[in-house]
Amino acid sequence: MSVRADSGRGASAGGRSALRRVAPWLVGAAVLGLIAWRMVYLHSVNQNFNAAFFAGAAVRSLQLGSLYALIALGYTMVYGIIRLINFAHGEVFMVGAFAAFFLFSGTPYSWPVALLVAAVVAYGFMHFLGFFRVLGRPIVLGAALVAFVAVAVALASVRFGWLGAMVGSMFVTGVLGMTIDRVAYKPLRGAPRNSMLITAIAVSFFLQNFGILAFTNRQTPFRPPSFFTGGLTFQVGGETVFATWMIVLVPAVTLLLVAVLTTLVTRTRLGRAMRATSQDAETARMMGVDVDRVIASTFLLGSMLAAAAAVMWGMSFGSINQPAIFGILPGIKAFAAAVIGGIGSLPGAVIGGLLLGFLENFLTALFPRVGDFTGITEYKDTFAFLAMILILLLRPSGIVGEDLSEKV
Amino acid sequence: MPGTPDYGPRGVMLRRLLNVAAVIALVVVLFFVQSSGSVKLGQVFALFAIWGIATVSLNLINGVTGILSLGHHGFMLIGGYVTGLLMLPESARENLSFSARNSLSDLAIGLSVERWMNALGLDFLATPETIGVRFVIAALLGGLLAAVFGLIVGFPSLRLRGDYLAVVTFAFGEVIRLLASTPLMASYTNGALGFAGVPSQFGKSVWWTFGALALTVFVFARLKKGSYGRALQSIREDEIAAEAMGVNIAYHKVLAFIISAFFAGVAGGLWVSWVGTARLDLFLFTLTFYFLVAISVGGTGSITGALIGTVLVVWVRQYGDPLEQAYPLSTWLIAAGAVLVVAAALGWLYRRNRRLRPVANPFVIGAAVVGVLAALLALSGLLDAQLASRWQGFGMRAIALSVLLVVIMIFKPAGIMGRREFQWTWLLKDRKDVPTEEERRQDAWLHRGGDATAGSGAEE
Repeated sequence: MSVRADSGRGASAGGRSALRRVAPWLVGAAVLGLIAWRMVYLHSVNQNFNAAFFAGAAVRSLQLGSLYALIALGYTMVYGIIRLINFAHGEVFMVGAFAAFFLFSGTPYSWPVALLVAAVVAYGFMHFLGFFRVLGRPIVLGAALVAFVAVAVALASVRFGWLGAMVGSMFVTGVLGMTIDRVAYKPLRGAPRNSMLITAIAVSFFLQNFGILAFTNRQTPFRPPSFFTGGLTFQVGGETVFATWMIVLVPAVTLLLVAVLTTLVTRTRLGRAMRATSQDAETARMMGVDVDRVIASTFLLGSMLAAAAAVMWGMSFGSINQPAIFGILPGIKAFAAAVIGGIGSLPGAVIGGLLLGFLENFLTALFPRVGDFTGITEYKDTFAFLAMILILLLRPSGIVGEDLSEKV
Repeated sequence: MPGTPDYGPRGVMLRRLLNVAAVIALVVVLFFVQSSGSVKLGQVFALFAIWGIATVSLNLINGVTGILSLGHHGFMLIGGYVTGLLMLPESARENLSFSARNSLSDLAIGLSVERWMNALGLDFLATPETIGVRFVIAALLGGLLAAVFGLIVGFPSLRLRGDYLAVVTFAFGEVIRLLASTPLMASYTNGALGFAGVPSQFGKSVWWTFGALALTVFVFARLKKGSYGRALQSIREDEIAAEAMGVNIAYHKVLAFIISAFFAGVAGGLWVSWVGTARLDLFLFTLTFYFLVAISVGGTGSITGALIGTVLVVWVRQYGDPLEQAYPLSTWLIAAGAVLVVAAALGWLYRRNRRLRPVANPFVIGAAVVGVLAALLALSGLLDAQLASRWQGFGMRAIALSVLLVVIMIFKPAGIMGRREFQWTWLLKDRKDVPTEEERRQDAWLHRGGDATAGSGAEE
């Protein structure tokens, strides 16, 4: 995780030649120069491609990139700790979106389903409280009972605003992530990595079909009453850019969550335990770190971030896809973002996510439909994979990461 | 050679006889399936053969070489679309366009084995009677193009290991499908709509499909037994050691991808013929997932296991529809409760046998309590008004398979067969003159130092 990246860089900086040190800056400057040249050229071809056009693309890129970054953090944290590509993370994201949908729309929960969901959530809550050894068993059981009643009542009667729905769905996915770890991954600690990966795929497949079974089979409108989905216009170079307040909300919430996460990882006991586990789980265990608890909290945190991303994703685009496919593309793209940034590294995930957002949105804006050229919008879903394959072949450690791939 | 059955001098003859008898028995069974008049049964058998080809070929990468490849549906897509396009009848060719944007290009319309045969002057191969020959040509071409893509996908396997490679192959499967619907390729694939009217007498015929399956099994069995398969297995066991022993890792890995992709392409052609339509939603990741389940359940690295797993998967897919029908909510609740209670019981047994303490951990207790509560709620009649509403169990088959896969991975990761293949010695175990593997090992241990091979029958 973050600390690993720093130590890796510090160790290798001394051996670098001057050329190697300035090379990234040169490449960056060259890319920026090319982009600027392309923008000027497009403007000379067609007056529609003005500063406002590119400013709009840039803010949308930032918005999408922030969402990718939030999802990518979950991948990178889990990979950093147990070296597992959590294929089910995209589906956790999907469940987060639907949980929030049901929380703010309050529609289809009949009492039995609400009770069942409440039982599962309360059980997960109990499991989570069990982490804190100071709490006695009666307190844990009592809290779980309160949670059960509260969740059941809330599911069946209360309608939440978007923020309440986001917090509630973060809670649901947090429990879901821990449950996945407990049920599917924990029995496989120490098993071959292919077995773990196949299990992760099975869990992801399970959740996709469970989504069809329990939620819906259709594309679902996602419009919680909110100020932020309203329009926002601003002037760039005398032209007006049309957007929604989401372009402010998404980066702001992402920044807040990343700040909280960074504080958690760098400043708290749990964070120290997480970093220790990611460096060497065996030694950490010998030093008295409860590795299983650390792994469970990693799943908890990553899944909560995914739910936050899911709610903002739904609000940004106004609808969510059917459960069988909603999680796949954002999930696998966010994984690509984590790899691009350097898997196992928290700043890497954020950088990779933002880069991917710009790659998808800004690059398509740089190659729009002009004349006979039909544009590259139709191909933008493949950029993430191409970038990932390129990064894996050229610099497997990612932009900021340390090489975690299997060593001899 | 350990693992190679020792049939003895008389056993070799017997084995050949049994092989011939098995083939005859299979042909008789297929004949009865064909003549039983049940369309569904024939289709199930054909589907088993088609998916069997794909599973056995995926097994070469996933099981034998130990590389997790998740892009098999991509290879099948390529083979399927090529075969479908090449076999599309003339009548369906010209009026395929559903909209101005989604019409086949002239080049794509010209891609027809029938036209090629006419152009080459081989008119006897362009008649309705010889459509079988044209299908073979089309399927082989589809397999070849898939093999080319296998080469392309195989190259990252030289630099990447394990899970990274799995993601790259997964991305390949997704990208292929995304690309097939882009305007560039839509003039060949007709976009998301695909094209209907592919001749379906091949994919639905048990003779064609089982012929292809028999060829596939023969090829892969020879591959696995030969030096090439042993090199692949050595890569699975320890890549570094294999390289030190002189195995050319790059060559073998890429060739594994090429061979596997070729057979996947052929399977894709048959699959498109089975459906009668080339559509993008035929080639979802679901397909690879099914094969993965079949391999994992049957046994990673075993051809017999792959076929056993395919039987299970095809059975669930074709006969699992009762799971997805609409039942009252109370029925579902009781079923969910029963599943939870059974899971709790299994967990309890598992923990007891493994001597884990506490035997009834919170997980076991929680599952049992929630299960009993759910069943009681359904039976108590408290909420009959809501519980009477019917609920359709969409996706239950896939859920069942994914739960099965998780359970297999946790409790029996080697699958049913492990790496063993079917051998006639299993049926002949009781014959005194054919010692079992176990007996021979014991004999070797007893006579160690002296005559280590005593009691092990004739050496080959």
